[in-house]
Amino acid sequence: MADHVIIGASAAGVAAAETLRKNDKKASITIISDEKLTLYSRCLLTYLIAGAIDEEKLIFKGKDFYEKNNIKTLLGKKAISIDPKKKAVTLEGGTTVSYDKLLIATGATPKSVNIPGVDKKGIFTIRKIDEARTIIGMLDGVKEVAVLGGGLIGLRDAYALGKKGKDVFVIVKSPHILSQMVDKGASGVIASTLEKNGIKIMTGLAAKEFLGGDSVNEILLDDGKKLKCQLVIIGKGVKPNTDIASSAGLKVEDGIKVDKFLKTSDKNIFAAGDVAETYDVARQANRINALWPCAVEQGNIAALNMLGKEAAYDGSLSMNSVDFFGLRCISMGITKPKEEGYEIISKSSEHSYKKFVLRNNKIVGMVLVGDIKCAGVVSALIKKGIDVSSVKHILCETKFDYAKIMPLVKKFSDKFKEEEYQDTIASYKP
Amino acid sequence: MAKEKISAEKLHEICYSCGIETIWQRYDAQDPHCGFGTLGLCCKNCNLGPCRIDPFGEGPQVGTCGANADTISARNLARHAAAGSACHSDHGREIARTLLLFGQGKAPSYAIKSEEKLKKVAGEYGIKIEGRKNEEIAVDLGNAMLADFGKQNEAPVFFKRAPKKQQKIWKNLKIVPQGIDRPIVEMMSRTNIGVDADYKNIMLGTMKTSLADGWAGSMIATEASDILFGAPQAIRSQVNLGVLKDDEVNIIIHGHVPLLSDVIVTATRDEEMLKLAKSKGAKGITIAGICCTANEILMRRGVPVAGSFLQQELAIATGAVEAMVVDLQCILPGLTTVASYFHTKLISTHPKAKFPGMEHIEFEEEKALEVAKEIVTKAIENYPKRDKKKVNIPKEKMELIAGFTAENIFYYLGGKYRGTYRPLNDAIISGRIRGVAGVVGCDNPKIQSSKAHMQMVKELIKHDVLVVQTGCSALACAREGLLVPEAAGKFAGKGIQEVCEAVGIPPVLHLGSCVDNSRILIACTNMVKEGGIGEGIDELPVAGAAPEWMSEKAIAIGWYFVASGALVVFGNEFPVSGSKNMMKYVTEDVEKVTGGKWAFEKDPIKGAHIIIKHIDKKRKALKLGDVMYKSETTKAK
Amino acid sequence: MSKVKVKKDKDITIYCDVTKCVACRTCELACAVEHSKSKDLANSIIEKDTPRKRLTVSAINGKSISVHCQHCKEAPCVTACMSGALSKDEKTGATLQDNEKCVGCWMCVMTCPFGAIVGDSAKHIAVKCDLCPDRDDYACVATCPTGALFAGTKKEFEKKLTKKKK
Repeated sequence: MADHVIIGASAAGVAAAETLRKNDKKASITIISDEKLTLYSRCLLTYLIAGAIDEEKLIFKGKDFYEKNNIKTLLGKKAISIDPKKKAVTLEGGTTVSYDKLLIATGATPKSVNIPGVDKKGIFTIRKIDEARTIIGMLDGVKEVAVLGGGLIGLRDAYALGKKGKDVFVIVKSPHILSQMVDKGASGVIASTLEKNGIKIMTGLAAKEFLGGDSVNEILLDDGKKLKCQLVIIGKGVKPNTDIASSAGLKVEDGIKVDKFLKTSDKNIFAAGDVAETYDVARQANRINALWPCAVEQGNIAALNMLGKEAAYDGSLSMNSVDFFGLRCISMGITKPKEEGYEIISKSSEHSYKKFVLRNNKIVGMVLVGDIKCAGVVSALIKKGIDVSSVKHILCETKFDYAKIMPLVKKFSDKFKEEEYQDTIASYKP
Repeated sequence: MAKEKISAEKLHEICYSCGIETIWQRYDAQDPHCGFGTLGLCCKNCNLGPCRIDPFGEGPQVGTCGANADTISARNLARHAAAGSACHSDHGREIARTLLLFGQGKAPSYAIKSEEKLKKVAGEYGIKIEGRKNEEIAVDLGNAMLADFGKQNEAPVFFKRAPKKQQKIWKNLKIVPQGIDRPIVEMMSRTNIGVDADYKNIMLGTMKTSLADGWAGSMIATEASDILFGAPQAIRSQVNLGVLKDDEVNIIIHGHVPLLSDVIVTATRDEEMLKLAKSKGAKGITIAGICCTANEILMRRGVPVAGSFLQQELAIATGAVEAMVVDLQCILPGLTTVASYFHTKLISTHPKAKFPGMEHIEFEEEKALEVAKEIVTKAIENYPKRDKKKVNIPKEKMELIAGFTAENIFYYLGGKYRGTYRPLNDAIISGRIRGVAGVVGCDNPKIQSSKAHMQMVKELIKHDVLVVQTGCSALACAREGLLVPEAAGKFAGKGIQEVCEAVGIPPVLHLGSCVDNSRILIACTNMVKEGGIGEGIDELPVAGAAPEWMSEKAIAIGWYFVASGALVVFGNEFPVSGSKNMMKYVTEDVEKVTGGKWAFEKDPIKGAHIIIKHIDKKRKALKLGDVMYKSETTKAK
Repeated sequence: MSKVKVKKDKDITIYCDVTKCVACRTCELACAVEHSKSKDLANSIIEKDTPRKRLTVSAINGKSISVHCQHCKEAPCVTACMSGALSKDEKTGATLQDNEKCVGCWMCVMTCPFGAIVGDSAKHIAVKCDLCPDRDDYACVATCPTGALFAGTKKEFEKKLTKKKK
């Protein structure tokens, strides 16, 4: 009976535990987490702050998940080191837990900023439930909020506080929001929706200093102007929690390096989720895709490999979905290629934007704003690397949907071999 | 400074980027279309249903009442034809009524512009002409024409115009309509639950209803319009959105009945109106038409055409239209959405056709010019509201010659003082001209390229088939430069080239609006009368086509040609294709009955060759020799 | 036309015979009505919460198909769901949705390869095929007037297709 140990109890860790149990009724499974409350969805914290959901709804697995699946837990305890030789994990306070197979799913930590005054009260990142609770607790005394960062994360934070009726300023260094994702036109569609709903976008600016006493009450901007704010949210993305892996001597670059079986440089240790650097199908290179769906997928695959089932991971695809006051936005893969050799197909209007990035007639990236109906169909085309020459001309049309790619499903049936696809074309003869 | 002009294609892109939904997007949103409707297999005529027939034969093959696919599709088609006939005929009734009002001195904005036609037609109606004033004749003729609508026991007067052979066929089939309104009422009644269930009998009724349109309702519209607004003469003008001007007040008139459009043209040429326009900073007033009313004022007054049916929303999207004035038929309710993005005022005028979101200024024949001036004033006053930034007038415009009629075409063919069909018949007999085809009808977003008319017409003239056109089809071909004499040299076969060069006419002749399809009936009759190419229309080397048809009016037109002995080729599917018997009837059996028949072909080139083959068959039957010149077949897509 | 009443189990799928679908959209209507309060066409369209269809009839080169949730074995939507609203029923293989848990993040819309999950803007939740829990059969299959929609095993469907050819 093998001992499986998982460090981290979020998307990847929990998915792995579930898959382990599903495939091995007897194995010993232990989950270690530095948080007391687990099984909650970090991605939903902004929904909690916005007041769209309550804490109950944060929980993505049943409360009896551990019990029902017979999983041992060590919660509220941080794992501080791994000894690969002894196959043991040491926790804060000195407890050691030995393993046969270990999964590192330690996730990531929000990037902070190196600006004077960043230690003042009232300056937050949003990653853990405690942070969210504190923010919610102080909201009554807050009129103005500054959000640093014009990417999806920053904007999602801004949206949540805007929903609460706060005066929100988003401070963005680039000349327009979402500059990593879309060009000016599309960002304008989103910016105007946000502005219409009272969120102020301030581009080409950066925070220079946080002012105030104990608590922040003003931000000094690099153009010399000052902005009043009682709450600051830093929404600038995350960095992987790789310390424990590097100190254990595992190979780490941007994240923990893994092979296609999600195995680290140690044969008994696996990594999954925001901490792992995996193959990216669109970019055809290794990369961290710190995203919920990727984390779950990797947790599942890693678990199978911990059980010795040799499940190869096809690779991850970066993707994100947001909804700003009813304006839906989805981005996927390479959205703004920097090198030559890409083809861009796009169509924009006042209310919507569609952009497809192609390389050798295969879609490698997409941005949809407004009408997101076809997103999933495209995600499959990207993941499977399908030549879309025959449907290129209708990608941006409203009518583009699964039916339009059925001839491709038929043609490339070796790539669409899952029975679900084959079921749809059982009667279809082009 | 004038803004650089864009292309029409660019205008589509601008619409899209501004989120303006037009007919093409709405069409896409409807795709796929319900197969039961497409096949004609859905019956909603009573509350036993709605019922539908499973075209694959596994599900129900009869409705609740027991009607099968044949009966249901026949009834549906019959009702379409009745609605189409009603539309044309109602238009005819309004013109006839105005003729009467004018005679009575109650419609002072109008005049008798063709005394010759007034007297000729009055003569046909048996009205005394000698020593009487035009007004007196107009009263009698107006009354007599109106009486045609309500006749109970005899055919409308113009039925006498048809070739004897056709009259005899109709009499034997008992499909000579009594009056114009009666067959329409009768069709509504016989397609009710539990009335006529024999598809062949229903089709005979359909032909009767449609004949009442072609040989009476529409024909009255044509003749009475010629009397009131003048018999058209060949006239040069321009077509396409490029006719709109960026420094003038642009008024678009859209719809069908010239009662409105003609007086609006008069009002825009009024000094007082021009002065008002200048006071608002405009250099003048441009008026341009859309749809068939465009044809009416084009062929009589040389007014340029902004576009066909499909272009109505694009016209507004130019941002340069102060007012679009509409009466009825083919007016898209979607216009109001497009107009909401621009300053354009939409004005409805007809009590029978109102549109939510349009301003309604009711048009009354009794004070026509007054109302027209009110409308024009509104348009002018709207000029300062034009947003220069939103103005995008496409550069495309094309010359065309319009204004041919059954009476005047062959003056051109035979020399101005010899009004005879002899030269045409001789050209056909000698094989210089293969035959004549009428290519008519709507344009339709179903045809992706929207160039079906042009492709078909080019193929026909290339094979020395002389083409006559009406309606939006004429406008579509005019846009492509086919309605100018130069087109003969570029596109026509050698035979047609020789004819066109000799007399200076285009190879494609513009015969007017959709009610003016009646002119084609008369032209065919005149060919029969001239002699040498058969005793009836069914023997002539002629055919008709509507490559992009969409309106119920097209179904009525198609049927009156088929009932009159012609082959009619439709481009899109016909809503009876769910019944094998009905399809066989309309494409084969009916030929044994009237000499005419239907054919359906989506590919316009193949459609042209169906016509060519048919014409050759007729030539052979007439024992005419081969055509003088051979031409190459264009490869069908 | 025999309408066999079969409900989802691991081998049973709803198939659409594209050679028989005439795009009448009856399945779309029936689906929306089935998910209304009144379950009656005329009344369902005036309900405060407009019922939503969970399948779409779409065109493929002159043919048409009713596209619906395939209840994938390895369902990308379940993997992507960050609120725990979507899950697989281990017994029947159905992909189920807990409306209470859905927060409308559209991650499932983003990953469904069939485009069979759509967002209901009014309720701000995702909407997908729930296999008609209130009836013994499926509304779309039961109402299809041409028998294009079929519920059964792949073998049965293929048998039906070959039978038709003869």
